[in-house]
Amino acid sequence: MAKTIMVVDDSATMRLSLKSALELSGFKVECAGDGVLALNQLKFGVKPDLIITDINMPNMGGLEFIKTLRTLPGFRFTPVLALTTESHQEKRDEAKKHGATGWLVKPVTGPDLVKIIKQVLPGA
Amino acid sequence: MAIVYTKNKAVFSDAAGAEEAETLLEWLGKHPKGKIDLGACVHLHPANLQVMMAAGCLVTVRSSDQDLAAWIDSALKTI
Amino acid sequence: MNPLLEQFLSETRESLQGIGEKLMQLENEPESAELMTELFRFVHTLKGNSGLFDFPELTRVLHAGEDLMDAVRDGKAAYCLPMADLLLDAMDYVGMLCDEIENDGVYAAAHAGDSVRLAETLRRMIGAPADAPGAAGAVSPSAADPGPSAEVRSLLSGIPERIRMDAYRAQTSGGLHCLVYSPVQDCFFQGDDPFFQARRTPGIVWGGIAAREAWPELAEMDAYNCVLDFHVLSEAPAEELKEYYRYVFEQLQMTTISPRCLILPQGDPNGGPVYEDFVGDALGLLRGGDIDALRRAARSMLELSSRELWFSSALRWLLLATEVEPENGVVLEAIITSLRTLAAPEWHVLAAAAGPQSPAATGVCAAKECAVQEGAVQESAAKESAAKESAVGEAGLLREETGAAIRAIVDVQREILSLPDEVAWIAGRVKAAAASLEGCLRSSGSLDALPGLRLAAESSVALLSAAPLLAWVEEYAEEMAAAPPSSPNAAPNAASNAAPNAASEAAPNATPATCQAEAPAAREPSAEAKPSPAAAAAPQPESEVKFGRRVEDVYAAAKSIKVDQVKIDRLMNLIGEMVVAKNALPYLAGRAESVFGVPEFSREIKAQYAVINRIAEEMQDSIMQVRMMPVSFVFQRFPRLVRDTSNKLGKEVNLVLEGEETEADKNIIESLGDPLVHIVRNSLDHGIESPEARIAAGKPAAGTLVIRASQEAGRVVIEIRDDGKGIDPAVIKRKAYEKGLIDEDRLERITDPEAVNLVFASGFSTAEAVSDLSGRGVGMDVVKTAIEKVNGTVHLESEKGKGTRIRISLPLSMAVTNVMIVESNRQIFGVPMDAVVETVRVPRAAIKTIKKSMATVLRGRIVPLKALNTLLGLAAQQRANEEDELAVLVVNVGDQQLGILVDDFHETVDIILKPMTGVLAGLAAYAGSALLGDGSVLMVLNVKEVL
Repeated sequence: MAKTIMVVDDSATMRLSLKSALELSGFKVECAGDGVLALNQLKFGVKPDLIITDINMPNMGGLEFIKTLRTLPGFRFTPVLALTTESHQEKRDEAKKHGATGWLVKPVTGPDLVKIIKQVLPGA
Repeated sequence: MAIVYTKNKAVFSDAAGAEEAETLLEWLGKHPKGKIDLGACVHLHPANLQVMMAAGCLVTVRSSDQDLAAWIDSALKTI
Repeated sequence: MNPLLEQFLSETRESLQGIGEKLMQLENEPESAELMTELFRFVHTLKGNSGLFDFPELTRVLHAGEDLMDAVRDGKAAYCLPMADLLLDAMDYVGMLCDEIENDGVYAAAHAGDSVRLAETLRRMIGAPADAPGAAGAVSPSAADPGPSAEVRSLLSGIPERIRMDAYRAQTSGGLHCLVYSPVQDCFFQGDDPFFQARRTPGIVWGGIAAREAWPELAEMDAYNCVLDFHVLSEAPAEELKEYYRYVFEQLQMTTISPRCLILPQGDPNGGPVYEDFVGDALGLLRGGDIDALRRAARSMLELSSRELWFSSALRWLLLATEVEPENGVVLEAIITSLRTLAAPEWHVLAAAAGPQSPAATGVCAAKECAVQEGAVQESAAKESAAKESAVGEAGLLREETGAAIRAIVDVQREILSLPDEVAWIAGRVKAAAASLEGCLRSSGSLDALPGLRLAAESSVALLSAAPLLAWVEEYAEEMAAAPPSSPNAAPNAASNAAPNAASEAAPNATPATCQAEAPAAREPSAEAKPSPAAAAAPQPESEVKFGRRVEDVYAAAKSIKVDQVKIDRLMNLIGEMVVAKNALPYLAGRAESVFGVPEFSREIKAQYAVINRIAEEMQDSIMQVRMMPVSFVFQRFPRLVRDTSNKLGKEVNLVLEGEETEADKNIIESLGDPLVHIVRNSLDHGIESPEARIAAGKPAAGTLVIRASQEAGRVVIEIRDDGKGIDPAVIKRKAYEKGLIDEDRLERITDPEAVNLVFASGFSTAEAVSDLSGRGVGMDVVKTAIEKVNGTVHLESEKGKGTRIRISLPLSMAVTNVMIVESNRQIFGVPMDAVVETVRVPRAAIKTIKKSMATVLRGRIVPLKALNTLLGLAAQQRANEEDELAVLVVNVGDQQLGILVDDFHETVDIILKPMTGVLAGLAAYAGSALLGDGSVLMVLNVKEVL
């Protein structure tokens, strides 16, 4: 069964880019524009096997989103990858502290993306 | 569900996720002599594994996934 | 254009707009951390997105901008006005590149210089050296070698002998790695599956699981408190393992061991004196150099001993060692002497003495490497391979190793190129691969093959397919790996330099080819937006880098509604048809009663009609809502416009925007853009005085310009108010008279408020000298025309010395028009209700003819009358009713009221007005047509034109 991946990013370009790369690799993709919107989707039954989230977003940023996510039933152990840039090492540690599994460095290309996902998502 | 419980046996299939560890722990509490069938299991989240290790579970059927079976051999006894 | 690029451009526009806004706001509250954060986010997102494409100039500038914002956010640099100017310039530059990309698919190569200068200037603001390269690899083999820790040794001894023997036999050149992965206790709540992670370890030879602590009672156990350790023996290179475990590197203990460390005899230590003899004999044979005899002796000894003995295990290792490294006496001797002590040889002590038999095993037997090497982890494929090469070079490896490394790199590239082509970034992928391959060519010294590689790469880029390059790889791969390196030291440099160069070289040259076909069609004749190539290429002093573009010049329409407008238009048309179809029901009900005589059925149809009517109305309303957008869409450009313009004019202006959230139909809002810009420019140019003049006039030095939007009675009202010098009606009158816009008669009668509105008359311009800003050869008449086109009105009030106020009133929506149906000569016509003042019936006797034109008196005022039939060129006379009264439709035309004689009035209806198309479009007398419920066509009059 195809795994579902949720992409949370306020940039439509980034969403589109990740979505097309992931779909090309056979994943089902759900998108959300910020943490609040993502949580809403989760509350209404979207059940991703993995979540990729940007850190810097309006309304609710990635760190708070991950923190809240971990309190929801069914998402305590879901792998979460934080989207970061190469210049912000401290963000990664912070993201991990908030419950992220790992990070992706923008820009992420298709093969890298799939390689990393296969590493954190059993059965992908 | 990746774990199906019969009278005295927990039968694993596919990949058992972390969420299942709670039920497994509960079941093992009630069935201290419970046996484990990993025949169709390809992966299990370590939460499940450590619960079984703590309970001193016996594996009755090794996983047909040779890699997984080798790992499990280092953690659990097989009859 | 591919959808991703399209999305990128549209989002970039929005972000640029946002950045501009935030910078403006920051000028007012430079301390606001919140604004700074938002600003940073915009720049950050933009930069992140730009990385998806091959626009190095764009990324360079944005990256520098991001770093600058970051420094400001962290308090490392102070926000200041020049910084804002610079950032605005940088964003203009980005906007300009985007325009070119949108129009031509690519931007001129000449921009590269500007981008470098801009990025440098931005970085200078940070006050830090540009691009401090990350500290190179922190690999530090420990000087004093303590040997494998007890933990590692127990780990190794847990590995079955068979597996250890296989690994030892393989003699992996990079050494083996012992990993002890101790996940943190709450790792499951970070989404980690450490078991899965461990299972997938690259190059895994063996893996095992151990508990860190004694098991608690099941009842007390927390299933989600991770107490497992994972032990892995891997033959993958350290770099690869580091990358693989980068998320949890601090939870990992990695020890590099020599394969010899695997020689750990195990078993029952019981033995006999016979062993002592064997040790003596064996040492003798070894020293005599007779390895074959040693082997035979060991084998027969092994046959005599029980398998389970420690002694047997040691013999097996001895046999294996004679097979794997027969020349290494030290190793063999150590194994033999260990038979005496029944303790495994201390390999790390022996390592130095053992001497280098294989280059990779040199020195490091158990160097612990704890530092995380970030750099290597995150680079793209191209850089990664380059980095690999540098690592190879630094280690000073011999030729074979370089050959192997090249082969590995080439294999990676082949793999990358074999991936499916249909991705947006295929061009980038090809270029990256080509760059890596070029690096390989350079380091292997086969420079002859370079042109062929470049050719293949270029055709790959042009075709958007990896095939040509892949074909090249298949042909040359072996040759490359076999070729001797030019010099071991030159190799890494060549490789790492080649990658970025090749990528940036390839970009400007290769991309035009792909876009040439569509470029001419897409190109717009917007000469102003593009600096001439000569100007761009000419060296300019940095501070003068301008991008030939003013914010207000480019009007990015249709960017704020995310749905394609065509789709909304289609919805509009459909609901229009629906309204028409729905309106057929009352006719049907009428027929049911009058023709078929079933009044019950007629009532039912009417009831059903009421329901459909309500839904249709709501639906129409909803669709209208979709088309609504806030005036902020137009307003948002003004802060920048006012700032730039007033700076240029040396004036001080406070801009106040109010009611930005007021909404109106998209078409209305868009039609508002140009007129507003014109009015605001006029205000800045002619209205607001210089600070000195203002102080002399007793006003504050800074002028105030208020742009205010509000909704009033179903219309949007925009008011532009300044406290400038106002308009002198006397001057206007004189000018209007001089230009022949008014006659002498009018000149005498015209009131001051009427006079100032003459600025809207066509051909009127008050500017004494044509200024750089608003003098574009068009006057305020253009404003009036543009506003009237969307059924709006514009009105000006001014008090000399105090200021000017311009009021624009617009309909909320153009989509639905309320018209009154009138009848004339047995035809029906629609008259927009906007124009209708009243309907009256006037007795024929009350209509007087004055100088051949008709008029009547209504409530004491003379109202001129015109017959519709005459206006439309119909021969018939207007018909009166039984009381001999004529129907008069009183309409507003400009400031005047006028009566139109018709035959009869009918109801008013909401219609979807369709403009006339084709040859009919030339008929100015009609505003358009609409379909009525019974299917008939209603022609809607353009009252102003008819009269």
